[in-house]
Amino acid sequence: MHQIIINGIISGCIYSLIAIGFAIIYRTVKFFHFAHGVVYAAGAYLAYTFFILLNISPLISFFLSVIIAGLLGIAINRFVYFSLRKHNTPNLVYLLASFGVFIFLQNLLQLIFGAQILTLRTGPVKEGHHVLGAVITDTQILIIISSLVLFFLCWLFIKKTKFGKAIRAVSDDSIGARVVGINPEKIIMIAFAIGSALAGAAGILISLETNIEPTMGLNVILKGIIASIVGGIGSIPGALFGGIFLGLAENLGIWKIQAGWKDTIAFAILIIFLLIRPSGIMGVKTEKEKI
Amino acid sequence: MEYLIHIFIIAGIYIILTLSLNLIVGYTGLAALGHIAFACVGAYTSSLLALNFGISPWIGLIIGAILASILGAIVTYPSLRLKGDYLALATLGLGVIVYSIAKNWVGLTRGPMGLPGIPAFKLFGYEMNNVWAYLVLVLIFVFITFIAIKNITNSPFGRILRGIREDEIASQAMGKNVNKYKLIVFVIGAFFAGIAGSLYAHYISFIDPSSFTVMESITVLLMVVFGGMGSLAGSFVGASALIILPEFLRFLGMPSSVAAPLRQMIYGLLLVILMIWRPQGLMGKYKFK
Amino acid sequence: MTMLQAQSLYKEFDGIKAVDDLSFVVEDNSIVALVGPNGSGKTTVFNIVSGFLKPEKGKMILDAKDITSLSPFKIACLGIGRTFQDIRLFPQISVLDNVMLGLKFETGDRFQSALFQTKRMKKEENESVKKAEELLQFVGLLDKGDALAENLSHGQRKLLELARILALKPKIFLLDEPIAGLFPETKRTMFGLIRKLKESGKTILFIEHDLHSVMDIAEKIIVLDHGKKIAEGTPEEIKKNKEVLKAYLGKESL
Repeated sequence: MHQIIINGIISGCIYSLIAIGFAIIYRTVKFFHFAHGVVYAAGAYLAYTFFILLNISPLISFFLSVIIAGLLGIAINRFVYFSLRKHNTPNLVYLLASFGVFIFLQNLLQLIFGAQILTLRTGPVKEGHHVLGAVITDTQILIIISSLVLFFLCWLFIKKTKFGKAIRAVSDDSIGARVVGINPEKIIMIAFAIGSALAGAAGILISLETNIEPTMGLNVILKGIIASIVGGIGSIPGALFGGIFLGLAENLGIWKIQAGWKDTIAFAILIIFLLIRPSGIMGVKTEKEKI
Repeated sequence: MEYLIHIFIIAGIYIILTLSLNLIVGYTGLAALGHIAFACVGAYTSSLLALNFGISPWIGLIIGAILASILGAIVTYPSLRLKGDYLALATLGLGVIVYSIAKNWVGLTRGPMGLPGIPAFKLFGYEMNNVWAYLVLVLIFVFITFIAIKNITNSPFGRILRGIREDEIASQAMGKNVNKYKLIVFVIGAFFAGIAGSLYAHYISFIDPSSFTVMESITVLLMVVFGGMGSLAGSFVGASALIILPEFLRFLGMPSSVAAPLRQMIYGLLLVILMIWRPQGLMGKYKFK
Repeated sequence: MTMLQAQSLYKEFDGIKAVDDLSFVVEDNSIVALVGPNGSGKTTVFNIVSGFLKPEKGKMILDAKDITSLSPFKIACLGIGRTFQDIRLFPQISVLDNVMLGLKFETGDRFQSALFQTKRMKKEENESVKKAEELLQFVGLLDKGDALAENLSHGQRKLLELARILALKPKIFLLDEPIAGLFPETKRTMFGLIRKLKESGKTILFIEHDLHSVMDIAEKIIVLDHGKKIAEGTPEEIKKNKEVLKAYLGKESL
């Protein structure tokens, strides 16, 4: 049982990192940036390139990869979404464009690195520590601690810096924000930078544990969106909570049934929340669109 | 030559999928991202009926299509009040769930091992495993689908669908039961997708969950969007182009480890370019506003 | 005879009282104006009447039937035809089709009729075209029948909205700012059409924020401020009402 909780927390940390990044971006652009998932995959592949292929030290590899992931997010925003924002485009168009970016980049990764499974692991798998009846490896401890550090940094950024406040301003009222001198485009860019960096970081962290493959992004972004919705779409603490909740729920669920049903559990949770409480657990209930 | 006919058959099956999705997305403006789930239901239903109970593929086809439309109704009914993005997510979720069931309910579907040896259609005792015969069969179904959807859209009913696409709230203010229309449109779309699935299964004679992934749904959506939302001719063009043109990549002599991702990259790029410069696709007249 | 009755409506948004204990009556075959400064809750009232918003408290009665909990399309079918403040036409659909979408088909708009292209559907379609053309004639837009709604001028759009709800054959017309943004000539046309409707026995409730312009046409005026009714009466009575003067002081002149 304790093993399940640990597994759940690890999955949860990854989902939360994705969901938080997704939520930050969603707050500023108000549509589902699906391509977020492929930025996650790109982070992992970048780390592989630097650490495994180029033999650069792990810490520098990590930072380089995270920064480039952030830049990738900025590029996607600048070349695709920015062009769409010029007209009055409906959300479906943004969604489809986001899918297009996702498919393009995922297959680019496959073209460059091949479809086979890669890994960031260099040595044999070390035995884990026995804690409270469960086994937890050094890697897993590293993942959890890194995630916590990143959560804390995020919280600092959103709550304490002026950029964080600006993101909240733009999300509530982008015209009003402009009036007080905030440039929405700049804030959107920063949101993409931070969110994508988080996604890249998540991709690297999970690759310490499991495999890297080109399709790793799809599943994770769907889970990240589910976590965001469960926690309250656009709410950053909600994303954190939603991610952990989803990770735990999935692992508890497959305790009794086959492992392959993980995705079904996640989506069943999504459907339930969409029908009963679409604003999520920490979201604010909004009235229907203005008529 | 036989390979060429094979390509046409596959294109025909995708045309049916595209036409049926176009009704939902193109004409009515609903963000349906999990359409291949209905084809999956159709395919597995008629295959399992044929393999386990010896039921004729003709009957299996109909039952599969009916089951697919029932699924369409069950799924749509609670999702009707979901706003655009959320409906997209819910339909995506449907796609994932159906795929998961196909992959994990090994007792029913044999999971990733798939169902081999699916019997072909029989006409007066003559088994249709000749590609030419199958081409004619598929073309007949393409024709039926086309006529059905053309009639549906070229009518007062179709006008109401377009009204829903333009403005749901105004449609309600005009006394239209918008939810009822959305439900009907999903059921019809699912029905024809189910037919496409069965046609595929009895042609290839082997199906497994990998033919019914989320990416497949997006590919069909790309065909709708590329050809033109709300344009029936566009669906023919979109589906055919996206099936036939990538075949030319083969002639460039690339290994499949390059051709496969390259093909998808072209799809992705095409989708982005369309959305930025021509969201109404090649032949669509409805401009997103 | 009362056509429409609101009983103690209460509607709240995020803690703000949009409509507070509002009751009013609209008599059959009358022209009633709902006025008030911007933000006084007029469109919210319309949204509640037409079913797009549900009040936390209170009831809405149409022709002696309680419609409070009904869905908007049902309410439209029962006889409320409303226009929208921002004009909700179907932009990429032709003017004629816009009007035809208001018409009720007996069975011709069913999916089966479409699939099998029944004779009945075709017959009803032909009749509908004629009816729609008559309505376009009434508002003066017959020559624009094939144009796309989005290509019409602002004034023409307002007239099209009116034609569209005429197609509904409603018991009561709810017009949200029918003369907003119109040139004086088109304003006169619009009011002229409203009078013609009244002469043919219809009931009209319309929203207007400029109190002055409704004095000549309204038989009764209901004045709202901050979601509450502050006055209800004939134009004469309203002119002398101190509360109304207070509410409008600094906002619009009488």
